[in-house]
Amino acid sequence: MLKFIIKRFAAAIPVLLVVTTLTFFLVRIAPGGPFDTEKAVSAEVMQALKRRYNLDQPVYVQYFDYMKNAIQGDLGPSFKYPGRTVTEMVKTGLPVTFELGVYAMIWALLIGVTAGVVASLRPNTAQDYVPMTMSMIGICLPSVLLGPLLVLVFGLWFEWLPVSGWDSWQHKILPSLTLGSGYAAYIARLSRGGMLEILSQDFIRTARAKGLSNTAVVFKHAMRGGLGPVISFIGPAIAGLLSGSFVTETVFQIQGIGRFYVQAAFNRDYTMILGTTVLFSVMIVFFNLLSDIMAVWANPRLKFETSKGAR
Amino acid sequence: MSAATETVKSAPGSDELSRAQSGMDVEQGTSLWTDAWIRLKRNRMALAGGIFLVSLTLMALVTPWIAPYTYEGQDLQLGASAPSAAHWLGTDTLGRDLLTRIMYGSRISLMVGFLATAVALLIGVLYGTISGFLGGRADMLMMRIVDTLYALPFIIFVILLMVIFGRNLLLLFMAIGAVEWPTMARIVRGQVLNLRRQEFVEAAIAMGLSNRKIILRHLIPNVLGPIIVYTTLTIPSVMLLEAFLSFLGLGVQPPMSSWGLLISAGAESMEEYPWLLIFPGLVLSLTLFSLNFLGDGLRDALDPKASKD
Amino acid sequence: MSVLSAPRASIAGLVLTTLLFAACSGDKNTPVSEGTKNQILHIGNGTEPADLDPHVVTGVPEHKLIMAFFEGLVMPHPKTLAPEPGMAESWSVSRDQKTYTFKIRKNGKWSNGDSYNANDVLYSWKRCLSPALGSEYAYMLFSVKNAEQYNKGELKDFAEVGVKALDDYTLQVTLANPTPYFLSLLSHYSTWPVHKATIEKFGKVDERGTPWTRAGNLVGNGPFILKKWEMNKIIVAERNPNYWDAEKVRLKEIHFYPVDNLATEERMFRSGQIHITSTVPPDKIEVYAKENPELIRINPYLGTYYYRINVTKKPFDDARVRRAFAMSVDRKTLVEKVSKGGELPSFSFVPADTAGYTPQHSIPYDIEGAKKLLADAGFPEGKGLPKAELLYNTSEGHQKIAQALQQMWKVNLGVEVALVNQDWKVYLASQKAMDYFMARAGWIGDYADPTTFMDMFVTGGGNNQTGWSNKEYDRLIRQAAETGSQEARYAIFQKAEKILLEEAPIIPLYTYTNKALISPDVKGWEKNILDNHPYKYVHLSSEGEAGTLSKK
Repeated sequence: MLKFIIKRFAAAIPVLLVVTTLTFFLVRIAPGGPFDTEKAVSAEVMQALKRRYNLDQPVYVQYFDYMKNAIQGDLGPSFKYPGRTVTEMVKTGLPVTFELGVYAMIWALLIGVTAGVVASLRPNTAQDYVPMTMSMIGICLPSVLLGPLLVLVFGLWFEWLPVSGWDSWQHKILPSLTLGSGYAAYIARLSRGGMLEILSQDFIRTARAKGLSNTAVVFKHAMRGGLGPVISFIGPAIAGLLSGSFVTETVFQIQGIGRFYVQAAFNRDYTMILGTTVLFSVMIVFFNLLSDIMAVWANPRLKFETSKGAR
Repeated sequence: MSAATETVKSAPGSDELSRAQSGMDVEQGTSLWTDAWIRLKRNRMALAGGIFLVSLTLMALVTPWIAPYTYEGQDLQLGASAPSAAHWLGTDTLGRDLLTRIMYGSRISLMVGFLATAVALLIGVLYGTISGFLGGRADMLMMRIVDTLYALPFIIFVILLMVIFGRNLLLLFMAIGAVEWPTMARIVRGQVLNLRRQEFVEAAIAMGLSNRKIILRHLIPNVLGPIIVYTTLTIPSVMLLEAFLSFLGLGVQPPMSSWGLLISAGAESMEEYPWLLIFPGLVLSLTLFSLNFLGDGLRDALDPKASKD
Repeated sequence: MSVLSAPRASIAGLVLTTLLFAACSGDKNTPVSEGTKNQILHIGNGTEPADLDPHVVTGVPEHKLIMAFFEGLVMPHPKTLAPEPGMAESWSVSRDQKTYTFKIRKNGKWSNGDSYNANDVLYSWKRCLSPALGSEYAYMLFSVKNAEQYNKGELKDFAEVGVKALDDYTLQVTLANPTPYFLSLLSHYSTWPVHKATIEKFGKVDERGTPWTRAGNLVGNGPFILKKWEMNKIIVAERNPNYWDAEKVRLKEIHFYPVDNLATEERMFRSGQIHITSTVPPDKIEVYAKENPELIRINPYLGTYYYRINVTKKPFDDARVRRAFAMSVDRKTLVEKVSKGGELPSFSFVPADTAGYTPQHSIPYDIEGAKKLLADAGFPEGKGLPKAELLYNTSEGHQKIAQALQQMWKVNLGVEVALVNQDWKVYLASQKAMDYFMARAGWIGDYADPTTFMDMFVTGGGNNQTGWSNKEYDRLIRQAAETGSQEARYAIFQKAEKILLEEAPIIPLYTYTNKALISPDVKGWEKNILDNHPYKYVHLSSEGEAGTLSKK
């Protein structure tokens, strides 16, 4: 196990290197520079700006300079926000987005797994259709839609929850629900499918035949294996939650990193694009690794073996 | 072997027998498909979903001949009006008939939904199966390529595509396929890793079947369940992604529209002109539900044991 | 079945959580009602400000913040925009309108208690004009003698630039040409002073992006000081007791919220979190105007929304084709039914009543005339006209207007125009490279004078970007710059604008408006075409009529 993890971390280095390098050059190919504005700027001013941010150097020099600094943890100054460094902005934005992502995942798992498991117990009956239909609404309602809708209902009509911001726990309910709901639908579908697969297998029947209660069968045996597809999905889902938090952060006026990530691309804030991209690739590598490790844990036969031994 | 296969190494099979059986079933072909069809027909929700999707597709095909108005004709003086006898579903803020725009939009959305998903499916399933089947170094390398694709900044990628190729529907499929396939690949790979060490696969290897045959005949049929489920979910999310890309300038060019674009336009004014959101949203939801019921039906129908319980 | 018990329990849990929300509500004290009581103004301020350095920033949100923290030599009156004493308590102008002498107030202080004097202005102008700083608004000072040469690096010695401190409290400015609008240039923040010791504590004088503008570091001379700045969350300004006119300042604090989503901002306003919004979502304008007219303000703004035409591309190399396009747009319907923000249709380029200047010439709405022009150019009924493209930057609003115009041209002239949208930076690059047919554009005047509009279209001008060039036009603009008499200048501008409209390298569409939702508690928030609201005139009270200056 440890060897496996170390190997995966070693493999992450070339991934990061390729991502950083590709991004570094791609952003420079994209038309429009960080200092282009609607009003014409004199050649002298443009020159001064480029000199200030090292952009007057040949591209390969810029690249090696950047890599040298990045390895030491210095992601450079933001081009859009003159007084800020990328490292500093990441430090303030990341914890917020991370918190949002975690709550969203909790919502997604809570709603998704519940709906999926309930539905799988009695396929093709009302007990299947109702929770599945409910959870699927999450997909039809993308965050741009669900966010404002939730705010209208809970924030403006009932006045139960604040319409924007990220301070108290009341502030955190609607945004995390908004961000999580799309994933809830996926999880519901995947867990229903996985559960059906497992519940139809012989070892479950064996377990039932041995007189285990239905609850024990579902919770002790079926769920671990049945949630396999969900577990493969969680890795990319968490990464997606974090990098896809832009809409939710914008709708709820939250000071997270998702906004920087998207706005930096439109602003051609080269260093900020690179910084956030590197950050997200680290997280993708990490969460995919985590989900692979969990896949081992969830292997149904492994579980069956141990429980048989216990009896 | 090396690292990645470790995920199953410690799991000596015990329900392999049942797995092997289902593998054999798939192998036997025709009777399975006939059985599946019979089972599918018995599932009323699935059937209803299927019928809805077929009629929707037919309507999309004949839209240019049956649409009540043109999709671009404006009536600025009328502006956004609620459903009426003249405009059954109302008009948008430029006074264009919403029903007509939804009908034309379905052509774009269905095409994008199905084609882009097909692209993602094809690449994702093949890639995931091969990666999981080969295991070891090859799997490691292939999965790290997937990680890299996940990590690249999507918007920059879209902007570059747009600048290099201009506005093009084909590009839209490519861009969407490129975004959607890695997740599919990861899910499929996870399943294949589990299957790979099982007896029926090892038996197939021992029998000297070629890798190609093992993948196509034994592995892919056995991961169909999660694939179908994930596909039915990918189609609607692809339709919504299309709206985002079109808005950025990569896909559909106004005044032409799509469901996704109609929904995001409707979301802007959901309090003032709710019908602009409700009707396109309704069509998309119905499509999604139909897809899911059909998908579930298919999954159950293709799994011989599910119906025995 | 017993299996159900556990999932059911968790569903019950969900319901319970939902009910809990209800329990913790009932708090009706909103930030707005609390703020009104305590003189704390809550403002929606658009996007996150890039910086607060007056010599570096360029945007509107930054402007609204800098207004709180800094002050120029003269400040515009909120109603009339006439210059009022700021740092300078009085000023005089020489007969030839080329020399301005400012008397700096002797009791003037920085927010840290240091006194300011004429040398601070000198230092700041030198900083703003220094080539290395790369200030994008340095040109606001170009009417000062030799300022442009210094900024371009042609002149190394700042002593040759036309600004001198005669003594600690007397500043003399020499202009290159008589510039009747010079004082209104000074109301632009790029001419405002910065605190030397603070700048140099955190970096070099001409270094951009040092942390001197952070909360705790920033020292200014305006009515407020920076108390807190959390990115993408809030900026808090607190009353500055060292401000020379501190007695007049009635607000205790101003809370600026960077909200870049219009709909979110409107919801914040509705739920009582902010007193004033930075704008209003287009679809909401009608609703507010009908149901709560007292909450919405729509004022004309010194800016024109127009389309650029690339005159180097066929078929737009022919002025008749350009004119035909310009004449076949129904601007009245456009503003009433499409943009719907109370905008005024523009039949000329400079907005009406720009510092007393109202264009006399206009582009008619004349479909028959347009058709005839098109036929004269060789395209009867639009036949044979190469398919043109209309470029706009990605945005709902621009897209809607573009679709309306596309349809007007199709119906009125029988021509097909394709729509192309690009993201902001690509769109800017395309225009700069002249890689477009027609492109959406907007121009907001830097100061209240026709010059800021008219000098755009001189041959080779950086903001021209149409490829259009006209010798007579260039000559008139040059002549106007050298003319001192307001009347004579305006007559020259009228002539120039006539040429511009006849040649039609641009299609003016409408004059912008400023839209804001505003709580009736806000008093002293006056309307003016620059959307300039000095905070020292603003206070909060839940009584009396909205918005007007209270008579104190």
